Formats: sequence, C-alpha cells, structure tokens
Amino acid sequence: MSGVQLDGIIKRYGAVQVVHGVDLNVAEKEFVVLVGPSGCGKSTTLRMIAGLEEISDGEVTIDGRMVNRVAPKDRDVAMVFQNYALYPHLNVADNIAFGLRIRRESKEVIASSIDEVAGILGLTDYLDRRPADLSGGQRQRVAMGRAIVRRPKVFLFDEPLSNLDAKLRTQMRAEIKRLHNRLGVTSIYVTHDQVEAMTLADRIVVMHDGRIEQVGTPMELFMNPVNTFVASFLGSPPMNQVTAKVEKVGSDFVGVFAGNRLPLARLGDLEARVGQDVVVGIRPEYVTPATDGVKDQVRIELDLVETLGSEALLHAMLADAPFVIKADTTTAASKLSDVTGFTIAPELIRIFDGETDLALAGQDRPA
Amino acid sequence: MTNMNLYSPGDKVFVYLCMFLISVFALSTLYPFIYIAAISLSTGFEARAGNVVLTPVDTTLAAYEYVVAQREFWVSYRNTFIYTIGGTITSLLFIIPGAYALSRPHLYGRRFWNLMVAFTMWFNAGLIPFFLNMRDLGLLDSYIGIMLGFAINGFNVILLRNFFEAIPQSFEEAARMDGANEFQVLWKVYMPLSKPAIATVTLFCVVGRWNGFFWAMVLLQDGEKIPLQVYLRQVIAQLSDDEEFTATLLDQAYSVETVTAAIIVASIIPVLIFYPFIQKYFNKGIMLGGVKE
Repeated sequence: MSGVQLDGIIKRYGAVQVVHGVDLNVAEKEFVVLVGPSGCGKSTTLRMIAGLEEISDGEVTIDGRMVNRVAPKDRDVAMVFQNYALYPHLNVADNIAFGLRIRRESKEVIASSIDEVAGILGLTDYLDRRPADLSGGQRQRVAMGRAIVRRPKVFLFDEPLSNLDAKLRTQMRAEIKRLHNRLGVTSIYVTHDQVEAMTLADRIVVMHDGRIEQVGTPMELFMNPVNTFVASFLGSPPMNQVTAKVEKVGSDFVGVFAGNRLPLARLGDLEARVGQDVVVGIRPEYVTPATDGVKDQVRIELDLVETLGSEALLHAMLADAPFVIKADTTTAASKLSDVTGFTIAPELIRIFDGETDLALAGQDRPA
Repeated sequence: MTNMNLYSPGDKVFVYLCMFLISVFALSTLYPFIYIAAISLSTGFEARAGNVVLTPVDTTLAAYEYVVAQREFWVSYRNTFIYTIGGTITSLLFIIPGAYALSRPHLYGRRFWNLMVAFTMWFNAGLIPFFLNMRDLGLLDSYIGIMLGFAINGFNVILLRNFFEAIPQSFEEAARMDGANEFQVLWKVYMPLSKPAIATVTLFCVVGRWNGFFWAMVLLQDGEKIPLQVYLRQVIAQLSDDEEFTATLLDQAYSVETVTAAIIVASIIPVLIFYPFIQKYFNKGIMLGGVKE
C-alpha cells in the first residue's frame, strides 16, 4: 500500500504554530489536492511529507513506514516544484537523469529511462536543449519527467502550474491527469486554484489557517460545503452568502433580507432559528431570471453585467454584500441588465448558522 | 546606446560630462602601461634623460635581453607561478566550502560565524604578531607558508556566500529529493550555477597572488623562493646602488630604468593573457553576487 497517512501533524516556527494537527489518509493511487488560500499551511504540509520541513509533532507514514526522521531521498517520493527547479547548466536529458546518476544507476538503465520518460512526456526532440531554450510548458514537462523517472511511490506537486499562462495551465492540467491515470502513482497536489482542485482531484482537502476545513470528492465539497469558508472557496464565481432572518409561514420557512422573502427548505434545524439570522448560501449558477407571473421572485437590482460569451455574470449588491448571478446569454439575450426578478429553488440553497458559519444539519444533497 | 534626441539639454550636458570624466579616468589608467612599455623598449640613456613620454625612443630590446639572461628572473618567475596557481587552488579549496557552509540557513551559529569572517575584513593582528605566528608555525621561507597563510580572504568568502544565498532554495531541495548529499549539492548544483562568482573570486585570488609583494618580502628570505615582485624590488634596490652597473649606461643600451620596466612588462603579460578569458564572468559575477534575484 503506497498510501500516505498524516496523524496530528503540527508545524511550529519558534513560538508560532502554522499547521495545527492535520489528520489525513491518502489511499494508494489516489490523487488528493490540498487547496486553500496563501498561508493556509498547504505547502508546509506537503514539504513535511517530502521531508523538506521538520515535523514539530505528529507522524507521517508513507507506504506503512513512519518517515518523520527519514531523509527526503530515502522516502521514495518525488516532487515537482512551483518554479520547476530545473538545473540551468544541464540539458533536458541530464536534468531527467540527475537523480538516477546520483543513485549510480548503470548507463544502460539511465539511457532507457530517459527514452521512456521523454516518450511519455513528448520530450524526445528536446533532450539536448537547456531549460532556457524551452517554453514554460516544456519546462513543466521536464520537471515532471525528473519526478517520474525514479518511479517513486508518491508524487508531490507544489503549485506546479502557477507560473503558466491560463491556456497552458488548462492544457498541462489535462496532461497531469492523463499521466496520473496512466502511471497510477499516489499523488498529493498543492494549489490555491480551485479549478485545478476540482478538475484534478479524486478528493479535495480544503485548508484554512493551518487546519483542514473539509475533505471530500470535488462534487461533495461543491454541493455540501460544511461551512461558509469552504462554500466561498470552491466554485467560480464563489457561492453568494446573504444574511437573512428566518421566519415561519405556516409549515414553511422563509429567509427575509433586503425586502425579499426567500423560500427555504424545510429543515428541522431551522425551527430553533426562527427569528434569528442565518447565512443563506446561493450558488451563482442556481439563480435564474424569472419569467413574468412566477411566484416567490427575489428582487435584485443589477449594477453590472459581464458578458463572457456563452454566459454572463450579473453583479449586484444585496443586503450590503456582493451578489453574483451566472446567467445563460442564449436565453436571456441582451436584456439581462433589465431583469430584476429571479428565482432560486429552495433545495439548492445552503443554509449556515449565523454565528458559527457551519452548515445546518440535514441539508446534504447526493454528490 | 540610448537615443540622445530623447534627452533634455541638461541631461545631454550631464551625459557628455560623464563620458568625458570616464574617458579621462580610462586614459589615466591606461597611460602607465603605455609608459612602462615605452620605457622598456627605449635605450637607457633616453629613459634616464626623461625623453620617453608615449612611444619608445631609440627602440631596443637590450633591457629584455639583459633580463632574460638573469637566472634569478626565471627562478622568481617560476615561484610567482607556483604561488599564484598553488595559492589560488588552496584559496578556492577553503573559500568555496566555507562560503557554502555560511550560506546554509541551518548552519549552527550562522550569525556568529558570518560575523567572525566579516570581522577579519576590518581588523587583523598586525604585522609583527602575524610574522611571529608564521615563524612559530615553521612557515617562514616556505612555499606552503605563502599559499596557506593567505588562503582565506573575508571579502571573497562573503562575495561567494552572497551568491550562494541568492540561488533559489528549490535547486537544493530538488537535488536532495533526487538523493544528493551535502557535497553533491555543492559540487553538482551550486558550483555549476555559481560559475560567474567563482570565476570572479578566482580572478581576485590570481591577481592578488600574482601581485603579492609585501608579505612575500616579509616572510621569504631565501632567494630561491622569492616571487617576481620581490625580485623586482631587489633589482631596483641593488642596481640603483651598483656603481659598476650604473657605469654600464655609457656602453650599454639598457639602464636601471629600462631593466625595471622590462621586468614589470614581463610580470604583466600573463595577467593580460589570462584576463580576457575570465572577464565575461568577472563583470557578471560582481553584479550577480550583489543583487538578489
């Protein structure tokens, strides 16, 4: 089992603690993405797994072996760095072979390994070039080649695509996913880009302030975020969050905000919150322009329309908070800016406690 | 060159003034070379009479013929090569690992060790204690004494340390993940990446050793071990006081002045040959060592 297990991992720099007891179990062949804002501890956690940072407390286990005091080279992990860290004085072939030469592999093994890796990554024609003569995408591939040539038990990726432009990032993202499908090596990937996390991961780990906020499949996290932080971090644009007062009308609940009465799902947890504030989470995709005469319309005065081609982002301020709607331009045509009535299905609304920011129980949807 | 049409009149005046001043400075550093070369190729009579200003007068190779006929010249020339090559290698053997160690963030007592190295740039024990120290270590009148005694220079260590520190840490981390130990990180990653800085330090060492005069004069008494610069001083001192040699001015084409100039030219030639090969690194090295990229 080439899995990775973190048990209560803590990292301190002097008196400052930056990672607070992280527990995580990465299964063999799984692709896990650590995602979170800058400074959330995701890279530090990855570096502790790699052995590049000392572990202040807790245990890291790789392939069933506790590696807290094992040197990076002996952990059988390979890492792709954010800035690639390709040796500029060596050509592509020598960069890929660096680790094999250090480990004194035979010339035949080195030559065949270079050929194999170059073939997989499409680098055969560039083996004699120096990193300075390569494009960003090619450099990224060399960095991956250097990692896979050693056939490690675990791949670690530290924001490997953040230096690429948007188009190349999309392309390389797909290449990384294909590579993982082909090699089936356990991978842990750090990024602050939620799109990368959503598209690459078997499971996503959302981190914040050195703690894990939620672990789950991309759709689990998208559909059922456990708190407002996860809700706001995943999704593009992120989930709208509006503070609303809960009222009961007959057996139904409504959220009252900015002159609107928004129907809410019948949750047992809402009963105790009647008269209190909750945070109503609404995905921009789930808000639709209402046609005339439809009941329960929410009145929203738009102040900006951004057209993105097949879709448009409609911006407004609602209860002093920014509110974004993602609309289909083909149906709403050019009159989107005139729309003031919208509908939101109650079952698609995520409700969070107004004080703890935690999602209320009983509203998870199947992912 | 920048398009001067884009400059205001005031800026143009400033640029021309800078160009004038730098030209004067460049010529003032070039002139001594030209003057010494002209003296060495002139007759002793003209040199002593002060008639040589820019070009040789009454051109002759007599001074060079005299110099190359002296055994002591070749012995001291050989010694200078030994001190320069051996001393530079010794220096690099100490400076490179030392600078690497001081650049490591996890070095125990790093601040203290860096301070100690910097301390030697401003303070030293002085002439007599250093001489006594070398004497007590049995390093007087020895090749090893000169090569080892001046192996480490604080400025060069700090220059190289700064360069090492500016290399992104991920290179080291990548090498470590690939299985490299501390020595392999230095040898296979840091040294190739630091060629400009190492070339610069090498040049400083080479020029320092080649021109080394004072300590060689103090520490070396044996005529078989003195370098060219000390020999040059001896030539100037001895021949000036040597009435017999001075009298040769009447029937020979060389004099103390032309012989001295010929030795100086001979001592400059190897540096002139060596410098162009390393110059490109020299300029780049200074810049890269000083600026953190």
